[in-house]
Amino acid sequence: MAYKPQYGPGTSTVAENRRRQMNPDVKLEKVRDVTDEDVVLVLGHRAPGSAYPTAHPPLTEQQEPDCPIRKIVEATDGAKAGDRVRYVQFVDSMYNGPSQPYQRTYTECYRFRGIDPGTLSGRQIVECRERDLEAYSKWLIETEMFDPALTSIRGATVHGHSLRLAEDGLMFDMLQRCILGEDGVVRYVKDQIGEPLDREVLVGKPQGDAWTKGKSTIFHSLVGESYRDDEEYVEYIVRVHTLRTKYGFMPKEE
Amino acid sequence: MTEADYPQCRIVPLRMLKPDSSEQLLNEIVKISRIRRMMINGPNLPRTVPYGPARGKPNPNTNRRVITVGTSEFELQVQVGSITLEVMDDTVVEEIRALCDAFFAEKNIPYQLQSGRKFMKTQASLTDYTKYGPNVDPAVIGLTDPRKKEGPIIIQGR
Repeated sequence: MAYKPQYGPGTSTVAENRRRQMNPDVKLEKVRDVTDEDVVLVLGHRAPGSAYPTAHPPLTEQQEPDCPIRKIVEATDGAKAGDRVRYVQFVDSMYNGPSQPYQRTYTECYRFRGIDPGTLSGRQIVECRERDLEAYSKWLIETEMFDPALTSIRGATVHGHSLRLAEDGLMFDMLQRCILGEDGVVRYVKDQIGEPLDREVLVGKPQGDAWTKGKSTIFHSLVGESYRDDEEYVEYIVRVHTLRTKYGFMPKEE
Repeated sequence: MTEADYPQCRIVPLRMLKPDSSEQLLNEIVKISRIRRMMINGPNLPRTVPYGPARGKPNPNTNRRVITVGTSEFELQVQVGSITLEVMDDTVVEEIRALCDAFFAEKNIPYQLQSGRKFMKTQASLTDYTKYGPNVDPAVIGLTDPRKKEGPIIIQGR
């Protein structure tokens, strides 16, 4: 194929980080380890060790209509087993968070299958079959898409992405789902909707200013790179806006 | 709204303060005489989960606790983001600036001290009117959230 995706414009580190996250050929650095049980606990959709509740019988046990698309697209594991659709929602601080809502959606669309992402200004939700969700969530937590201080898993009451950080460096969370222990390790004490967990889930130490600045995908003129300094990005966005404005007038070629 | 009769200033640290630090700072501030009114602002820390499937369940939060300022005890319901003060004259603002310089240098947190006369309400809004009625004490206006049941806290000065 002649076409080679470029993923995004820009010459800055932020632009490069965005391309790195989006490009499925790039293997993102694994920064921490969490167990499958940890992920299940934080998501809070089912008890660890319990069977996956189902929304329909497994595909092998039901008659499928004769559909050409079903022959081309192989179902994901969750869809094959008939799992329920469940969600995970992430919030990233604007103070050099490692990702941001649109970036997460683009990344997930390039890297995952069978997902339905929802992109909002301060949070990003992704819905998919439960066992796929757990695998995707684990990847999102373990890789450089996550920083324990600046990223948070919040199903509801997400306020905090644009606020100043707290004194200990954590992003504000009115439900205080995670706390910074005296050993410097961030631990989740509540699941994503704010119900207390039976045991703490450790997600490692905050990565620190140098790391977050180097891995950030958010332009921020005060704490990181300024958007205006990336001329290529500005040129691209100007082009997009010029074209869409001109299109509003429905230009006709003579 | 007209300008206030007295000088005002606002302390804005770059990080939102923990209850311990807030208590420490407020206790330093109340030692300064000739402060008329003081207001703490910041994002709310609700007692119960306000939204979502866990709505209404208790929300244990170590940042929401009772602090003692001067001789008064009260529950800190917000994570302290800024402190607005109304003082008797401009020299007090300089005293506050000197105090904050020392306090935040020790904490290693940059901060801003903004001064002016427009940080607090000077007239009752419609909400204030419905809450407090027509004969409200002007000292109360702009100090508390009219939706809250609790009134302002009185800290006895020196």
